[in-house]
Amino acid sequence: MVQPLVIYPDERVNIACTDVRTFNETLNNVLEDMIDTMKEHNLEALSAIQIAYPYNIVVIKNGDSYDEYINPRILTSSGKFDSTETTLYYPGVEVTIPRHENIKLIYENRKGEAQHADIKDKKLSATLQRKIDYLFGGNFLDKVDKKTRDNILEALAKENPISVTMNDVCPTFSKKDYFVSFTDKLLFIMGLSLLMPLFNLSKEALANWYTYDKFAFPTIILLMIGFFFYAQYEAKKYRQCSSCQIGNNIGVIVKRVTLATLFAVGSYFILSPK
Amino acid sequence: MARLVVMGGGVSGHTAATFAKKWLGKEHEVVVVTPNSQWNWIPSNIWVGVGQMTKEDVVFPLAPVYKKAGIDYRQAKAVSIHPEGKEGDDTPFITIEYTGQGKEGQTEEVTYDYLINATGPKLNFGATPGLGEGSNLGEHTVSVCTADHAAHANEELRKVFDKAKAGERQKILVGTGHGMCTCQGAAFEYIFNIEHEANKAGVRDNLDIKWISNESFLGDFGIGGLHMKRGGYAASSRLFAESLYSERNIPWLIGAHVSKVEAGRLEYELLDGSTGEEEFDFAMLIPPFAGVGLKAIAKDGSDMTDVLFAPNGFLKVDAKYDAGAYENWKASDWPRTYQNPTYSNIFACGIAFAPPHPISKPMSSPNGTAIFPTPPRTGMPSGIIGKAVAHSICDMIKQGPDAKLHEASMAEMGAACVASAGKGLTDGTAAALTVYPVVPDFEKYPGLGRDLDYTFGEIGLAGHWIKHILHHLFIYKAKLKPGWTLIPE
Repeated sequence: MVQPLVIYPDERVNIACTDVRTFNETLNNVLEDMIDTMKEHNLEALSAIQIAYPYNIVVIKNGDSYDEYINPRILTSSGKFDSTETTLYYPGVEVTIPRHENIKLIYENRKGEAQHADIKDKKLSATLQRKIDYLFGGNFLDKVDKKTRDNILEALAKENPISVTMNDVCPTFSKKDYFVSFTDKLLFIMGLSLLMPLFNLSKEALANWYTYDKFAFPTIILLMIGFFFYAQYEAKKYRQCSSCQIGNNIGVIVKRVTLATLFAVGSYFILSPK
Repeated sequence: MARLVVMGGGVSGHTAATFAKKWLGKEHEVVVVTPNSQWNWIPSNIWVGVGQMTKEDVVFPLAPVYKKAGIDYRQAKAVSIHPEGKEGDDTPFITIEYTGQGKEGQTEEVTYDYLINATGPKLNFGATPGLGEGSNLGEHTVSVCTADHAAHANEELRKVFDKAKAGERQKILVGTGHGMCTCQGAAFEYIFNIEHEANKAGVRDNLDIKWISNESFLGDFGIGGLHMKRGGYAASSRLFAESLYSERNIPWLIGAHVSKVEAGRLEYELLDGSTGEEEFDFAMLIPPFAGVGLKAIAKDGSDMTDVLFAPNGFLKVDAKYDAGAYENWKASDWPRTYQNPTYSNIFACGIAFAPPHPISKPMSSPNGTAIFPTPPRTGMPSGIIGKAVAHSICDMIKQGPDAKLHEASMAEMGAACVASAGKGLTDGTAAALTVYPVVPDFEKYPGLGRDLDYTFGEIGLAGHWIKHILHHLFIYKAKLKPGWTLIPE
């Protein structure tokens, strides 16, 4: 059965594929679907993930027949050349990237029998490398420099406005940052207070600074406790968020609590009116 | 008073013995039989191998530690197990042959009520012609499997560096020395540490460094690879490993079985049946592991090794050994209690237990040579298993032989691995990986077989710091210094 193609910006293409473990009817169906889809769209090669099957399977058209590579692995590669390629996933995009001329490949056929191939044809070799990249969750834009990649993605985005659902992505600014920002301001003034004796201020003014420190220190501790619990709550809200990881949050807290403690001790020795 | 005998004083044996003694107290006896006089924190051996640590940094003498803990320590190697005792005496015992304590060569019978086999592996250099004889390292290559081997590896490496400094082009080969090796991780760490040191010494330009291993893809590590969550998607360890090798300009040869080693040259066979050869000036090749060759003797003196041990010399435990082909493998085949099915008072932990089957997909070349990584049972899992086994035995001693056993299946256990890729306080790098479960469970986690919420990896300087901290932490723990029980396995 012809299956819909996975085309940019469909992110399912990034799913890492799994090895085929059982060679049964399901596998045959997947292979037939792949071949049907290739015939329908007149395709030269297809990875299973390009029709949203997360299996390590590549099919390549060879004249009138279709070669099936199940669980392919590249053992050795040699020679390099610049291969100009297009891929279905990014329609209309053509890039030139280095590929290996010759590869030695092991794979299985649909009966699960071990096969191997020594591929010396540059074009076939590059096609296989491109398709195998898909199986491991990559594609050819991973092989170009960042600028080219950004330009291509920008051009694609204009044609294809992407909608991003905000509830699942990490926001660039989250409310927990208010805790941090306020704490940082308090800390900055605490740090400043330690420099006050240099300015020849009156005893009373120094005592006021000391009072400020006396209040700021516990406030910072309370703010950091608040930050911890709020950050934990936020981390649950957003699934993908590296800045929400508990390690990061603890790092933020430890840094500020340490600094506040140092300032408080300093303030006690320097500013405390005795 | 019951007596627990632990054969082996490595990561798992030492963990089992020390915890058992702590839980059993003075009423019961714990005996450790190990041929080594020193405990070795094996993960740091790679740093000895590049001269960043000395042998003394990674070992410490066992005798004072066991004396303090009240453990009866015999520096001897176990020779045979007599699980039914001998004619006229039903008490089971093992025979040991001393290797130290002034009794070298003497043999002795040590009776036991409970026995833990934690002998670790025999480094089977003899499996590849030219790699060595039996368990002894040959003259053509080096190894980092023991602290002594690693110190020797460093001496040889320095010679190569000196030649490179003098302008001579040198070729370094690192990887596995046989088609059925495990422990690719150690070789992985070693090759990147060499690369790091070569850069520091300013000789990298004169060195060709190449990887050779039995993995069918880079980043397999004997656990069938792993997937790390990055930006919301699971990235394969293959991507991670290949970029690391490419960035450091290290070409690789995979799916390779080293079939013969000679001076400065080796022959290999690939998974596609083709053969080839590589020349080298320095090669560190990990040997395959085998059981240490313990014999089991029945009451009448006849050999019953095959009852107690699997054909590869590892002790049979409560695993499903007849799972058959790869498609039928299940996570539940893996042992849970590590108790021997025939003798309920014999357990195994660490590398010494016989795994039901590999984790990576078994593969062989068209000529029939098996080339795939065998399952690792080292590091964190072996410590956890050692502790669980000790716990089970303590309960059996205290509550009777029907006590409920503690379980620690590798299919329900995560593991953390920190792989160093260069040592240095400011310029070090290490890859920190966690994987859950170690043995993929394709029923519970369809597809990849692992829980992606607990499987991740990062690489960078912080990883190196962690590895360095672990070095001190685990040696501290093994020395049983105050608070050692609080440090996790």
